[in-house]
Amino acid sequence: MAYHTLLFLLVFLPLVLLIYQIMPRKFRPAVLLAAGYAFFFSFSRFLFVYLIGATIVMYAAGLLVDRMQQRFKEQKKGMERAAVKTLKKRVTARERWVVAGGVVLLVGVLAVVKYYNFFAQNLTELLHLFSIEGGLKTVTFLQPIGISFYTLQAVSYIVDVYEGKIRADRNFGRVALYMAFFPQIMEGPIARYEQTAAALWQGAPLSYRNVSMGAQRILWGLFKKIVIADRLNVVVADIFTYYQNYDGAILALGAVAYTTQLYNEFSGCMDIVIGTAEMFGVTLPENFRQPFLSKNVSEFWRRWHVTLGAWLKDYIFYPVSLSGWVKKLGNRTKERFGKHGAKIVVSAAALFPVWLINGLWHGPQWSYIFFGMYYFVLIMAGIVFEPLTARFHERHQNLAAHKGFMVFQIVRTTILVVIGELFFRAPGPRQGLVMLKQILTNFHISALFSAPMAELGLDIHDAVLIFAAVAIVFVVGLLHEKGVHIRERIEKFPTPLRWCSYYALILGNLIFGAYGDGYLEVDLIYANF
Amino acid sequence: MEELLEILEEINPDVDYETCTTLIDDHILDSFAILSLVSELEDAFDVQVSPGDMVAENFNSAEAIWNMVKRLEEEG
Repeated sequence: MAYHTLLFLLVFLPLVLLIYQIMPRKFRPAVLLAAGYAFFFSFSRFLFVYLIGATIVMYAAGLLVDRMQQRFKEQKKGMERAAVKTLKKRVTARERWVVAGGVVLLVGVLAVVKYYNFFAQNLTELLHLFSIEGGLKTVTFLQPIGISFYTLQAVSYIVDVYEGKIRADRNFGRVALYMAFFPQIMEGPIARYEQTAAALWQGAPLSYRNVSMGAQRILWGLFKKIVIADRLNVVVADIFTYYQNYDGAILALGAVAYTTQLYNEFSGCMDIVIGTAEMFGVTLPENFRQPFLSKNVSEFWRRWHVTLGAWLKDYIFYPVSLSGWVKKLGNRTKERFGKHGAKIVVSAAALFPVWLINGLWHGPQWSYIFFGMYYFVLIMAGIVFEPLTARFHERHQNLAAHKGFMVFQIVRTTILVVIGELFFRAPGPRQGLVMLKQILTNFHISALFSAPMAELGLDIHDAVLIFAAVAIVFVVGLLHEKGVHIRERIEKFPTPLRWCSYYALILGNLIFGAYGDGYLEVDLIYANF
Repeated sequence: MEELLEILEEINPDVDYETCTTLIDDHILDSFAILSLVSELEDAFDVQVSPGDMVAENFNSAEAIWNMVKRLEEEG
């Protein structure tokens, strides 16, 4: 019952909307919670105990930390400054134990069900390298849907309580709903407690505006998913499976096609998710902000899978950067090699775990680790060469401000991203390197127009349709970038024109969607991460 | 405040810190610039910035940064 299926869109969602609306306001959060657990159950059956377990852990850890903080506030009244400092140190240490316990439990479950076999296989292979028999046996663990997403939400809640950003919630139902809001379960976005919990719990009545705006966004997401992404699936799967048979030009086309597929599939799913939440009057955080208009890869990651990047920044990058040992390392490097040297060292220390976790988060595969390290190297290169680029910008101010230079930066970033996605999709890093080598050394543009292209399952009609649809998505992205809110514009259209727009979107999906004969229903890619 | 403005000028001289209130929201200061700023603040004002302080509201304007520094000084 994934978000793009008819079962979800025409049965589950309308049913939940209906029950939600007819229920008295105070029962509406319970309807959403029941819908969340039913949705979860439809994928993972009784594995929803994992989700409930994670909810209990975060709830209990949050309450414990909060109680310690409140008791400290009471105790410090009337105490001398030095005594307050000593007490604070002791309380903070205790709070840290609770936070660590909660985080270890949450991440531990994720690590075991998702990464144990990867660890066991690699350890066994490593031991064999040294001619040591034995190692660890692999075990089949069933992985609950969305565990990589809800675990991060739970961790953020505990840490936010510890850091004093939010108070722990005594209402278990509200905490449970934050973790199990059905549109977010499969692919996020990874929300923070203060972003969604209160809105979900208020049980606001449905309004015509929210439902129609949400429906528009869902239709737009479906367009990206079933007209573009699913149509590209056959060609991408073929090129990446039989890459040894193809010319470099076709492999490059495959990498571009996969990047296009992944963007339209994930951002399309986010449109469906955010549109669904909007129907209930809940604003979820955005996950994409026109990533292919980025001028460098750091900016790209501020615009692509925004909530994952923000999570890694807040819960890995800053804590590591501000930890005692990294600060000491930075100060020592500053004394010997100056500010830029210190920036390189501190950035490397904080960015390495960020990109390792980013890669591993996507799954237990070396290709994902390689993908993470690829971005680590690119971003570190940007930092190392910063003085040179700054000097270049200073000397060539006119050029740097020129629109053509901006286009060059965007194209350069896009090429780097496409190469990254090639490694991401390739069966392994070695195969990715073989593909890249083939692109660089055996590239014949004529191959694109030769016989194998037709065998990829992509005829001229598909190609034209994809180009046209991608052009529409690109133009819409440009308009968004300029601050034009298209749905609000449509809302202000005269009624006949407004309904024409709705019908155009519905018919566009019905006529041009990749389903029926010759197409397979394509699972959501990010739901597997 | 003067000292803070000097530190900010050194990190990015092209910004009008007296009026800008979207230093983070408009990505004028990225996370690396924020880390440089924090390091300078800790040295200059003898305060300790924790990961919990790294929120946009504390860094969106010179005034917000100054308020955070004063709060951290009081907390000792």
